Amino acid sequence: MTTPAKDLEFDYSKYGFRDEERYVYKSQKGLSPEVVKQISHMKGEPEWMLKRRLKALEIFQKKPLPLQGMWANPSLANLNFDEIYYYIRPDEKKSRSWDDVPESIRQTFEKLGIPEAERKFLAGVGAQYESEVVYHSLREEWEKLGVIFLDTDTGLKEYPELFKEYFGTVVPAADNKFAALNTAVWSGGSFIYVPKGVKVDIPLQAYFRINAENMGQFERTLIIVEEGAEVHYIEGCLPEGELVSLGDEMVPIESVAPGTLALNSDGYLAPVVSARRRSYRGDLVRIVPLSPGNAFELTPEHPVWALRRGRVARPRADRPATQWDIADARFTDAEPEWVPAGELEPGDLICFPVAVRSLDHPEISDDLLRFLGYYLAEGSAFRNGVSNAPTVSISLDSRDSTTIADVRALMTRLAGKPAGVYEVPAKHEARVYVYSAELLEIAQQYCGVGSATKRLHPHLMELPPERQRLLLETYLTGDGSRHTRSNGRTLVRAATVSRTLAFQLQEILARLGIYAGILVRKAGSESMPDGRVVRRCEQYVLHYEDGATVRRVRFDARRNCFWVPVRAVARRPYEGWVYNLEMASAPNAYLARGFAVHNCTAPIYSTNSLHSAVVEIIVKKGAKCRYTTIQNWANNIYNLVTKRAVAYEEATMEWIDGNIGSRLTMKYPSVYLMGRGARGEVLSVAYAGRGQHQDAGAKMIHAAPDTTSRITNKSVSKDGGRTTYRGLAKVQPGATNAKINVVCDALILDEQSASDTIPFIEVEEHDATLAHEATVGKIGEDQLFYLMSRGLSEAEALSMIVLGFMEPFTRELPMEYAVELNRLIHLEMEGSVG
Amino acid sequence: MNNDLVIKNLHVEVDGQEILKGIDLTVEQGKIHAIMGPNGSGKSTLAYTLAGHPRYEVTEGEVWYKGQNVLDLEPDERARLGLFLAFQYPVAVAGVSVANFLRAAINAHRAEEGVDPRKTAIPVAEFRKKLRERLQLLNMDESFARRYLNEGFSGGEKKRLEILQMAMLEPSMAVMDETDSGLDIDALRIVANGINSIKEQRPEMGILLITHYQRLLNYIKPDVVHVLMDGRIVREGGPELALELEEKGYDWIREEVIGHAS
Repeated sequence: MTTPAKDLEFDYSKYGFRDEERYVYKSQKGLSPEVVKQISHMKGEPEWMLKRRLKALEIFQKKPLPLQGMWANPSLANLNFDEIYYYIRPDEKKSRSWDDVPESIRQTFEKLGIPEAERKFLAGVGAQYESEVVYHSLREEWEKLGVIFLDTDTGLKEYPELFKEYFGTVVPAADNKFAALNTAVWSGGSFIYVPKGVKVDIPLQAYFRINAENMGQFERTLIIVEEGAEVHYIEGCLPEGELVSLGDEMVPIESVAPGTLALNSDGYLAPVVSARRRSYRGDLVRIVPLSPGNAFELTPEHPVWALRRGRVARPRADRPATQWDIADARFTDAEPEWVPAGELEPGDLICFPVAVRSLDHPEISDDLLRFLGYYLAEGSAFRNGVSNAPTVSISLDSRDSTTIADVRALMTRLAGKPAGVYEVPAKHEARVYVYSAELLEIAQQYCGVGSATKRLHPHLMELPPERQRLLLETYLTGDGSRHTRSNGRTLVRAATVSRTLAFQLQEILARLGIYAGILVRKAGSESMPDGRVVRRCEQYVLHYEDGATVRRVRFDARRNCFWVPVRAVARRPYEGWVYNLEMASAPNAYLARGFAVHNCTAPIYSTNSLHSAVVEIIVKKGAKCRYTTIQNWANNIYNLVTKRAVAYEEATMEWIDGNIGSRLTMKYPSVYLMGRGARGEVLSVAYAGRGQHQDAGAKMIHAAPDTTSRITNKSVSKDGGRTTYRGLAKVQPGATNAKINVVCDALILDEQSASDTIPFIEVEEHDATLAHEATVGKIGEDQLFYLMSRGLSEAEALSMIVLGFMEPFTRELPMEYAVELNRLIHLEMEGSVG
Repeated sequence: MNNDLVIKNLHVEVDGQEILKGIDLTVEQGKIHAIMGPNGSGKSTLAYTLAGHPRYEVTEGEVWYKGQNVLDLEPDERARLGLFLAFQYPVAVAGVSVANFLRAAINAHRAEEGVDPRKTAIPVAEFRKKLRERLQLLNMDESFARRYLNEGFSGGEKKRLEILQMAMLEPSMAVMDETDSGLDIDALRIVANGINSIKEQRPEMGILLITHYQRLLNYIKPDVVHVLMDGRIVREGGPELALELEEKGYDWIREEVIGHAS
């Protein structure tokens, strides 16, 4: 049933103001010794750090802006240093919760809808994707090895000696105006110490220690890699929007392209007109409903479809003082309203619509549905390691002969040949199996491969509910998940490591009239009674009581939705993109993790702000460090970053640096090659769109014999954007037998855009080997035509060419970052984002 | 429904110079037509024009296929209508693997207006199976699919990739521009066998073979042979016409045509 039209006519102007920011402490605007003293005091820093800060402030105030007059439109002169807040202490405790880990890291491949096998096949990566699953327990192991990984403020408190020895030695305050500014007002960033000989084989990522100060404006990062040690650090995390329902599954909002069908708040599929993003700085509100797995985040002004608690609660006189309950009569009469997320309170009811879709697919037989249920719960489909035979196998309890017989009969009928049973008596396990290429493909196609990527095919999600019930029943049989409670009711629980599957099952249950909650069980290790330690991935536990309604959850037959109480509302400061969908038809509302939210009418801010970080890295003898960044700052940010490393004898330092966002970026990661045989590498890409200037490059200083450096820079400019490669390769006297290799390739996509290459090379030894190569290209008519003649649209062809151009960079990224970069570029090429 | 490709009075200019001067030609559904002609007669211009290359300007005429004037369509729309051009000089695209490209192209063909592309995308198993089969058909190693599109390919590999694309995209009308050029005799046999097996599997597909030499026609038997000269079709006949050209060269036709004209 649709919502009456009058409910949609609400007052838009109401949402045109910005919520008050909530911070514990906010420094005055502008810079002065007082402000710096206050910052240091708030942090409880040692005296020597305060002195450093004050000294740096003096330097900052004396130094001129670098490279004055050398930029395109977004000149640094537009930056007003007096209009900036230099320190904001947010109103939230530091946390190390796994909940804060970006979804993108966890579910990257799900996002793509590419199951495991194809991923390996297409991308030629294999090993990387499994790493995420074990991150968690590895962190504990690192700590045992003596690896320190903290935010820089905490690092200074806990390891003052290391800071005294190394802080500011690689990038002194006097290095440049922005290094001085950072030294004066720094806050946040990462501190990493890797002891001698320790090789950290999984990248350390900033989100391990996510906290309020992670994304600060003036981060300070210090990395020390002792002799023979190795580490890969990945800076920051990519912004990600909330998950929205497309009917068959939930996907991150930013991946929704115009024309996609998404579920609206009435439970119908409607086309999306546009997916907009805007840069945002301020609080995000996290709404945690009764089912914590469905928690979602919004900007405070974003309207949520809600029944206020005060309108539906039973009057206090009728109930125990500590509990509240819904009064049925009040509930029936109450009209929902659009409430800004920032005004929601615990106890308010929010709307979980039931999808109204039903399309039978006769080719999916009842047998197949029942089989797929078992397969989802306990099945695997694989090629036998020895014989390479295509195998489908379901693991069951060997004592449950009824189920074994049922599964065996099903598989025999579906495969057209007899299924066998293989018993593992020690585990009370019976595996029903059949060798069938056909059944293997069917299982994989309808339900995915591997437990983490199991999902239901869109056709399964469309089936009439009574047919879906068949799959659900065998799914729950296989899992042995029914428990009878003392009150006689049956508690049903099903755990899966696939987030997509958990949400899909929740939706199917809703169509069957059951509101099931989702709990997130953290990853970790568990000690078994026999002494083994079992590592477990993050699990989503779906739970409901058979035949009972969850207290305070109400089904609303008139609107065909469930009303679910909000359990908690929290805020956190955030800087980055926020997203919003515009739907083609009323109601202009979509579902965030299953809950109805309105198209957002927030104002767009346009103040320029400054991000000025300093990164210092010390790589000792024989050690190796790789530092990976992809920055996608909002297009009003000046991103002025000093990144420098020193590499000693036989050490290797690699900067992998991607620049997609910001208004102006100036960043030249450098390596000082201080010991014999040291190696330095900078591999970078830059994309400059409308109003953007990416002024990026590299510096390599050869200060010892037999040192090697390699610089590879790829840049793309479009819609009037400008890219500059600015590089320096220097061979100092005494640095004999140095090898330098510089490659700069620029791609310019239209007449309005530009690219410059400014390479400086200073060689003071006669035997240096030097190779420099620079190309500037445009996308050829012939390349575009070739791809289009195969059916790709112009935008698709263009992004394919650009992504191919960037591939030497992309292939060095961890998979999830590569995917994200590709997606960003794809969006830029489609021009669907303003 | 008539799925012939019908070309009517087609005039095409390149850089202001008229190359095609009124082509009338029908390629019938399910038939193999060959166009032969000397260098500079306009063979490749015809191929590129049919596929919609922006450099070729149509000044007059129509090309009808499946009820649409394809000259009104963008190159990608023509491809999705079922037209395929096997290039004489395929273009390299760095960093794009053959497999990724083929998958994107197949999905572009399967996409439907207003439907979530993930719903229409080719299922994984199906894509892999198909790719494996088609690679085998063309005697290509599976590692081929991981290489970058035409990057560092030999002449023979490029032509095989064109045929692989045709085998994967399953067009209903294929234009093959000098697919035999630059191939040695072994490669020619493999490519020709590939084309024949595709044709066997899809008998309804029409083919327009553009070639300078008769040797390809030893392997692929045309139903009709057209001779293109100076931007016009000047003669049509059966397979025997190709043999005659091979034996006598093009000069005798030129003389006859000029003779007729004068």
